[in-house]
Amino acid sequence: MGCRQSRYFGGLTNEDLPSSSKASLVMSFHSSARWQLHFDSCKESSQLDVAKEFEVQATPTFVLVKRGKEVDRVVGAKKDELQKKIQKHRAS
Amino acid sequence: MAVSGFEGFEKRLELHFFGDDPVIDMGLRLLDFDSLQEVLDAVQCTVVSAVGNQYFDAYVLSESSLFVYPTKIIIKTCGTTQLLKSVRPLINYAHDMGLTLCSCRYTRGSFIFPKSQPFPHTSFKEEVIYLEENLPITLCYRKASVMPSKMASHSWHVFTACDQTQVVTPNIPDITFTMEICMTELDRVLARKFFRRPNDDKNGDTAGKEMTELTGITDINPGSIICDFAFDPCGYSMNGIDGDRYSTIHVTPEDGYSYASYEFVGSVYDDQDDIVQILKKVVQVFRPATMSVSTTCASHEVWTHVAHAIEPLGLKCRSCIMDEFPSAGSVVFQTFTAARRK
Repeated sequence: MGCRQSRYFGGLTNEDLPSSSKASLVMSFHSSARWQLHFDSCKESSQLDVAKEFEVQATPTFVLVKRGKEVDRVVGAKKDELQKKIQKHRAS
Repeated sequence: MAVSGFEGFEKRLELHFFGDDPVIDMGLRLLDFDSLQEVLDAVQCTVVSAVGNQYFDAYVLSESSLFVYPTKIIIKTCGTTQLLKSVRPLINYAHDMGLTLCSCRYTRGSFIFPKSQPFPHTSFKEEVIYLEENLPITLCYRKASVMPSKMASHSWHVFTACDQTQVVTPNIPDITFTMEICMTELDRVLARKFFRRPNDDKNGDTAGKEMTELTGITDINPGSIICDFAFDPCGYSMNGIDGDRYSTIHVTPEDGYSYASYEFVGSVYDDQDDIVQILKKVVQVFRPATMSVSTTCASHEVWTHVAHAIEPLGLKCRSCIMDEFPSAGSVVFQTFTAARRK
């Protein structure tokens, strides 16, 4: 759902679009505009496979993953806490 | 009592809507953030933190809380916010989404500093006039009442309005209840836990999380997800979400006008002991000298547990009165003060 909308607005290349068979693919974004588009479209999405996998009970939940392992998480729109945790784990 | 200070006592507004579609999925939750912020600008507060689950969204505001369900909005603000100014914009935004207002409930305690309140909160009369003028005429069943206690400084103000569809008939039981607890003259030592330590180099989120744990608030309802915030230099707010139920705490810890509120939603089918435990833990966190509990429920049993829970902790019930309101059901207002004082 998100990729269809992104194509309409932003002119994504084929590399940017995850194939429909990989439902839980982690997507990377290199501009805040692209992220915003995707985020807005996901609000109405009912595809919650990733949420189930990470045992998300409330949104927003930010899971900090380093080398494939979860190192921390922030539940709730807590801008400062998120920033602090990113800095903390980036350094270690 | 200080001459003036921050007003802890909140104003609370609850609006219910119904939609044209038979099945409402996200309803009001689809209201975009900018529109919500516009409504809050009218009230003069902003969003500080937010969390949501499959049932509703909970926002911690600069001066209290906002809960958005698909067909229901609850806003609770303290200080000198002009809460009622949110009514018109909310009705308009909801209307644009195909939702129509079917009931409204406005409640508050008595302000510690009533003269500091702006229009239309200068008096309950003004508030009622403002609501009367801004609610659609389809909400034709209306009632306003001031429920007294034995203390002139502690009354409970209630205004409810609803349309034909919402009039509660006695043989249709409603299973949920809301308990609004207001506490003043908090224990000084316990209240100090809600002050930030100077130069603690923390932000509001982290400091809030610490306060939640240090004060024992985490234990009140361990099953809920908490969104907390600690204000600088003092003050604390939290929203707890647990399934489709919320709980919310707001603390003004300054000596002379200290105040704390605890509000939660429960079900008449809950284990009544759970309700008793919640009340006990709340009293233990704040140890107030004065406490009022307002229970709104369509059925009449829940409030009877309140005194049993609180009195063993040294607070004596001084007054208990009940009244019926359109669509809200019965509201029971009880006040308690420390046993040794009169």
